[in-house]
Amino acid sequence: MMRKLATSLVLSCIAFTSVNATADQLDTVIQRGTLNCGVVLDFPPMGYFDGNNQPAGFDVGYCNDLAAALGVESNILNLTWGDRIPSLISGKTDVVIGSTSDTLERAKSVGFTYPYFVFKFQVIAPKNKNIQSFDDLKNLKVGAALGTTYETEYLAYAEKKGWGTDNYTAFKSENDAYLGLYQGKVDAVISTNTNIATKLQSAEFKDFAAGPFVPNYDDVVGLIAKRSEGAWISYLNLFLVHQIRDGNMNTHYNKHFGSDAPADLIQSLRDNK
Amino acid sequence: MGALIKHPSDPFLTTESGQGMDYEFHWNVVFQNMPELLNGAFVTLHVSVLAMLLGIVIAILLAIAKMNNSKPYCYIATTWVEIARNTPALFQIYMAYFGLGALGIHLSPYVAVLSALVFINAGYLTETFRGGFQSIPNTQYSASKSLGMTSIQVYRYIILPQMLRRIYHPMTNQFVWSILMSSLGILVGMGELSGTTQRLQSLSFRTLEFFMVAAVMYFIITKLVLISSSLLSRKLFKGEI
Repeated sequence: MMRKLATSLVLSCIAFTSVNATADQLDTVIQRGTLNCGVVLDFPPMGYFDGNNQPAGFDVGYCNDLAAALGVESNILNLTWGDRIPSLISGKTDVVIGSTSDTLERAKSVGFTYPYFVFKFQVIAPKNKNIQSFDDLKNLKVGAALGTTYETEYLAYAEKKGWGTDNYTAFKSENDAYLGLYQGKVDAVISTNTNIATKLQSAEFKDFAAGPFVPNYDDVVGLIAKRSEGAWISYLNLFLVHQIRDGNMNTHYNKHFGSDAPADLIQSLRDNK
Repeated sequence: MGALIKHPSDPFLTTESGQGMDYEFHWNVVFQNMPELLNGAFVTLHVSVLAMLLGIVIAILLAIAKMNNSKPYCYIATTWVEIARNTPALFQIYMAYFGLGALGIHLSPYVAVLSALVFINAGYLTETFRGGFQSIPNTQYSASKSLGMTSIQVYRYIILPQMLRRIYHPMTNQFVWSILMSSLGILVGMGELSGTTQRLQSLSFRTLEFFMVAAVMYFIITKLVLISSSLLSRKLFKGEI
């Protein structure tokens, strides 16, 4: 008798949890009252620490807007490039707003939203290196941050041209790549046009210049969430549409890039290209 | 939501939202990249074997210096051991790469990691060796001398063979440590097993799969080292450990 009672108790508990199991990520965030938002905070102006050591930047602004739209608190988690996926899978973050290039290979593993930004990949090097075209990198030591799309693009280009990988150095983070460039460990670093523009404003990089772009490549980036969370990704997509429609995108752009968002950027985001 | 596999009836596989672990493992992408992973594993083994060999040679010298009455040698050895043993390996590797870089000395990632590992191995092994040396009674030294052997001959034929036998297992531990710590090479962009894994996972975002396979590979490497060192010890010491 007791055993039957215990069994039915256990079964009803299981039934109860399975009712709960219909709650998806969107419900979870709303019920929790906090949005755990992952941002890469060594990638100015998209994510960085401001003078008061607080997270700031374009991506952080998007996190806060998203939390406000959901009516919850925003909790920013600092990630490296390599942490982005593990943080989602382990449930530490609900969404990563971290300039993630939306390759089809990656989309097999993680859920992408519509694009929210488009970068160009560019070379930064000392002025005296006088790099005019991307092919001038042939015999130079080149570095980039490990696990980024610009690393992949550079390596693919180098392979196509038969340059080999002996001249290439991977750095663990964006900051380390710039440190290596500053110290002269590498002759040039590949990064995004936005990050390079920010770095060139600082006194340390006054003898450096932005060089050519990686040929024929637009880096289109999206927000990422767990692939299975269809409803949550739909919400995020609508959020991105609203960021442009309500002018928030332009406000953040203005704040972090010092001008209105270019019309072609806005148009390509509207077209979801 | 189509591809989602939930386990609502399994109370052990629930996350915060009450859902099952909704992750499907894709192993094929890892196996497609196996040649590159094996290449990374080779670099890991390569750097740790070299770091171990160089570390042993330096540690023997440092241990002798430390037991020496001559002050300058003793100071150098003590400083080396104290710094190597009381600062994190991560710090050593970073200093070898970016620290020396700030002084205009540019080591390649491989050399930076190798020198940091040699530095630490030598520091730890010095103390092990010193213990080994001191466990051999001084009388043996005097006795050999009285037989007309030179100091070098005493160390070569009498002291070192006994000492190496006694410290063989602690030395194997240090070797395993060295293999595992070489994974910090990822910090300075060295293409060893961890660095290669990190790069490959960023292409497909199959992070869990890649790092799980890398962990298994580390396990196999260290097991192989342990087994071969125990086989070697049987041959060297004829079971007298």
